[in-house]
Amino acid sequence: MSDPGSEVAAGLTEAERDILRKSVRDFLASAWPPDESVENAGDAAATAALWRGMARQGLTALGSGGDGTGTREILLVFEELGRAACPAPLLGAVAANLVLSRQSSNAAQALRDDIHQGKAAIALALGAFDGDPAAGGIVLHGEIARGELRFVEGAGAATHLLAFTDAPVGVACIAAGAPGVNIRPTPGLAVPPFSNIVLDGVSAVRLNTARDTLEETAAVARLACAGRALGAAQRAFDLAVEHSKVRKQFGQLIGQFQAVQHKLADCLIGLDGARLALDSAAEARDAGNADWPVFASAAVAFAGPALRDVSIETHRALGAIGYAEEHEAPRHFRRVHADLVRFGGAPRARAELADYLLGPVQ
Amino acid sequence: MATLPAHDMGSAANAFRAEVRTWLAKNWTPENQAAHRRKPFKERGWDAEFSKLMGRDGWIGVGWPRKFGGQGCSVTEQLAFVTEMANSGAPVQAHSTGESIVAQALFKHGTQEQQDEWLPAIRRGERSFALGYSEPEAGSDLAALRTRAVRDGDHWVVNGQKLWSTGGDKAEYIWLAVRTDPEAKKHAGISVLIVDLHSPGVTLRPSLALYGKTFSAQFYDNVRVPATNMVGAVNDGWKVITDALAAERVMIGGTRMAGIERAFDRLTEYLKTAVVGGKALRNDPVVRDRIGALAADIEIARQFQMRNSRLIEQGKVPLHEAAVGKVFASELQERLGQAALDILGTRGLLSEDAEGAPLGEMEQLLRHSIMGMIGGGTNEIQRNVIAQRGLDLPR
Ligand SMILES: Cc1cc2nc3c(=O)[nH]c(=O)nc-3n(C[C@H](O)[C@H](O)[C@H](O)COP(=O)(O)OP(=O)(O)OC[C@H]3O[C@@H](n4cnc5c(N)ncnc54)[C@H](O)[C@@H]3O)c2cc1C
Repeated sequence: MSDPGSEVAAGLTEAERDILRKSVRDFLASAWPPDESVENAGDAAATAALWRGMARQGLTALGSGGDGTGTREILLVFEELGRAACPAPLLGAVAANLVLSRQSSNAAQALRDDIHQGKAAIALALGAFDGDPAAGGIVLHGEIARGELRFVEGAGAATHLLAFTDAPVGVACIAAGAPGVNIRPTPGLAVPPFSNIVLDGVSAVRLNTARDTLEETAAVARLACAGRALGAAQRAFDLAVEHSKVRKQFGQLIGQFQAVQHKLADCLIGLDGARLALDSAAEARDAGNADWPVFASAAVAFAGPALRDVSIETHRALGAIGYAEEHEAPRHFRRVHADLVRFGGAPRARAELADYLLGPVQ
Repeated sequence: MATLPAHDMGSAANAFRAEVRTWLAKNWTPENQAAHRRKPFKERGWDAEFSKLMGRDGWIGVGWPRKFGGQGCSVTEQLAFVTEMANSGAPVQAHSTGESIVAQALFKHGTQEQQDEWLPAIRRGERSFALGYSEPEAGSDLAALRTRAVRDGDHWVVNGQKLWSTGGDKAEYIWLAVRTDPEAKKHAGISVLIVDLHSPGVTLRPSLALYGKTFSAQFYDNVRVPATNMVGAVNDGWKVITDALAAERVMIGGTRMAGIERAFDRLTEYLKTAVVGGKALRNDPVVRDRIGALAADIEIARQFQMRNSRLIEQGKVPLHEAAVGKVFASELQERLGQAALDILGTRGLLSEDAEGAPLGEMEQLLRHSIMGMIGGGTNEIQRNVIAQRGLDLPR
């Protein structure tokens, strides 16, 4: 609920957001059709083509702030990416746009232009700002970066790596093909897989960036990934609801069984709660509310377990048909879990809330 | 205060909140509060004199439309109001059912004469109500009710039995669902009457519920009720009842939330400094994890409540949304009560009057949570509503 008397906040109107949602959904439906998304996910050329298309839609500029879009719109677009099981390298672009919008060097401007035009694709590594203690990190000596970064998404299609560091505080921008960059995919629940990146004395452009900016950008990335998980969970849930209206067993629609009805009702509670809380946290940031990180922690702490439950219950309602990898649902299962466990997941968010309410551990 | 940041509800609601606080500071003084707490637990929360004071100063019906004498406050202002009242612990139960359920029904289904007769009195805090729906054979299946009303001249004559009416032993009137056509289909032959509980032929039998307050069975033996007290047309009561139940769900969600937030604030405030067995509770990682999870859930419950408010403000009736809010808030109350017992250990079992009780209301909160899960339609029935209305699943 916005206050009509206050300053005009970042972000679009409700009607403009509806238009944006529809246009992103339509674009992804044709550029990344669900029935091809499994093969496409493994195809670097397909991802590159998609990225150019997103540039034409203006989506690669998300996070720059120039077009009147704010955090809510970032969230909205990530929700749509989740819905479409689309691995577009938007996380790196948004983080880069947030960081680069405060940089005035020619190199920074040039990279920003390349991102906006879809020529550059960024893999983001939050390093010491990740929140997962196993995420690794790098050390910068002048313009030389060393270290190992884990759980990096989108490294396969990236032209650049953007690595946050606290040694010293700043951002290293590294060409993906530079000598000494060793990228190894690490298969797992996440599809496409994360990568391990070892930097063995690699030349980097160093962007001096305040700690606050890095923390804030990391927090936006976390919210965006939760939004992507929400989109995926909602889509899988919609499929399960549709399924339960047509699938018959024991001579009746399975959606008539109260055991199924109540589980799906609980899923709706989880989905609605996560959506309202994530959106409200984003809205608080856009309104300049200094408490927005508390609302973001609450949203992530709730969304973690709630959306993972939705994902499990969705699969139970779909039965075996939804368990085949050629069905859409497994992609969403993977996405939901991968996005919610990252960055310290719900346990970190709960710890942040405890810090806020009880003070830090002494 | 160890509490989540308040949502900015906009400057109008914030200013209104300040106004409420000022009034409370003057009229709900520490002395009033101490006197209230000296009453037995089952008498608390219901205070006819305080309701009249609120009525005198225009604090009843603040959200009513202006044409019915309300202040025409927006729903967000009402929410700010409800939260402030609940945080203060001021007794509002003597008027709240009339204000939030009966009046809402009268706006929509009452005749001009009924509106003129009842609304100003409710607004002044001079009419208290209980709800008479449940019967021995009609709980969740409310439309199975059998309490009979037969027309006799200018009156209806009522015979039957009702159960579990909250505040029935204190209220002056009851909002009574009766069967007026036993031949019609289940939902078709029902009507609603406002009945004076002091009428000849009404026998009341209160019993104490687990949460520490009473609900009452009533027996109706040829009770004569003026025909002018029927709300809505004869045999058309089901619509009146379902509207009233929707309003009740929103109200239950809202009052639960306020109570939950207050208890949680008290718990976290206590944990900040509590040392037990030489250890600071706040440093315990299990305690911190539980508190973090509950804080997140509280934020979600607030979000559901605000969504209901936005829908009402847009002129819509939250149906499955209100069910979502009620289910979530009542089950959150249960989780909070259980967590408090785990964190406080055996001391958590002590009630608030007991010696050495760190936070006596916690065991009461847990007992109370069950009421929220059963009353106003059980949470299973709410889940049916969510599935069938919210998701359009087949019946
Ligand atoms: C503290 C308290 C205060 C109350 N105050 C009032 C009041 O002021 N006025 C009033 O009229 N009533 C009041 N009630 C009664 C309340 O409305 C009923 O208890 C409620 O509607 C459930 O009815 P029941 O208790 O008969 O349970 P039942 O309907 O017998 O239900 C028992 C169990 O079966 C389940 N069940 C029943 N039908 C279904 C179904 N279709 N699908 C799935 N599960 C089902 C229920 O969910 C429940 O778990 C109060 C109750 C309590 C506990």
